Amino acid sequence: MSALDGVKAAALLFVAAILQVSVFAQVHVFGGVPDLLLVTLVGIALLRGSIVGAAGGFFAGLLVDTATLGTLGLTSLVLTIAGYWIGRYGETTGRDRAHAPFTSVAVVTVLYLFGLVIVHFVLGENAPAGPIARGLVPAIGMNLILTGPVYALVRRLLRPLERADYATEVQLLG
Amino acid sequence: MVRRAVLGSLVLVALALLTISFRSPTSGALHDAQGYGATVLRPFQVAAERVARPFRDVYGYFSGLASAKAENKKLRLELHKWQAVANANLAGARRAGELEGLMHFEAGPSYPKNYRAVNTSIISYPSGPFAQQVTIDAGSSSGIRDGTPVITQDGLIGRVTNTSSHTAVVTLLTDADSAVPARDTTHNVTGLIRHGQGTSLILDLVSKELKVTKGDLIVTQGTVDKRYPDFYPYGIPIGQVQSVGTSDIASYLSIQVAPLAHFDSLDAVAALIPKKR
Repeated sequence: MSALDGVKAAALLFVAAILQVSVFAQVHVFGGVPDLLLVTLVGIALLRGSIVGAAGGFFAGLLVDTATLGTLGLTSLVLTIAGYWIGRYGETTGRDRAHAPFTSVAVVTVLYLFGLVIVHFVLGENAPAGPIARGLVPAIGMNLILTGPVYALVRRLLRPLERADYATEVQLLG
Repeated sequence: MVRRAVLGSLVLVALALLTISFRSPTSGALHDAQGYGATVLRPFQVAAERVARPFRDVYGYFSGLASAKAENKKLRLELHKWQAVANANLAGARRAGELEGLMHFEAGPSYPKNYRAVNTSIISYPSGPFAQQVTIDAGSSSGIRDGTPVITQDGLIGRVTNTSSHTAVVTLLTDADSAVPARDTTHNVTGLIRHGQGTSLILDLVSKELKVTKGDLIVTQGTVDKRYPDFYPYGIPIGQVQSVGTSDIASYLSIQVAPLAHFDSLDAVAALIPKKR
């Protein structure tokens, strides 16, 4: 990945993080909250792989925790793993598939929310899973609505890499 | 190999930050650095919030229009009731002033006499599903400290639990750890306001021998004993009793309280700063 791509990815995540904490976090529909930052991270990780996904997740989580004066590292931890996982999916099986962004967003929304439940639970904080479960379907729905335009924007700024540029450990046949 | 090393390193750094931040959430070098970071991000948050405000207002306008007719009828009925209550309160307030002077009432400073308001706005909303906290655009440089009560024009919303120089975190009444000593102004019953389902509240620790009725106004109790000062001054409206229930085995009444502040659409708020520290 070139330095210019890195700057673009960082700028995208920065804008998404600011919009998430200032605007999107206030949008409640049937108990669910859209997550622009997660959708943007999925787009970047799918197009640029697991290392960029993990680093982007860490950077984005740090921004969120700093902006909200939350527990530093908490969001970073979950987003780093989410970014890495989506990056690996993009590098191996998902890179050429049109449904990959939508599948990734749906799955990672579930994993991200329940990942937060687990981290809060481990920290000994109040973490009821009930409200999360009730708001899960609306959250997935809103994130899927965001996926189309956000992924198109990310793809426009970060052109997909050539097949040879991917550092894969999996050989695809056919 | 490189991938796993990067992932492992980032996870370790995140865990280290998490550990340090969790152990000292309101002090230390990391908290100071976070405060500086928050100050740097503040203009961007304010700008994003201002850009989004017109869209939010339009959404709020149409959303409000849909329920306006039904609400209008209900509000007219309530208006008549509250006018009667206001008249009674006016007479009661005059009398209470005289009685307070006579009895050397030691309930502490009464709002707004000994408090000044720092008007500000919210710049970020709960970042996760469990965070019942908002960030406001004013901090220790405006006199805000941990414990400072925060209100809207409708009533109490919570208190400050973390501050940096230009921003502060407000833990809302709907947070699981929030507890506010409160008083039912109609029946003079005291209890503890805690979070309930969603954005509702409950008035806890009210013995079932006492009387509380639907529609009673709940306000902050304030400081009763000067040795144990409360965060909140007396008389800030919190909510209205929505339902009262009990059971044979329960020691306390089950009292649902509808908050007066609209937690779903918080925007302009005021922090109450004591004039004398």
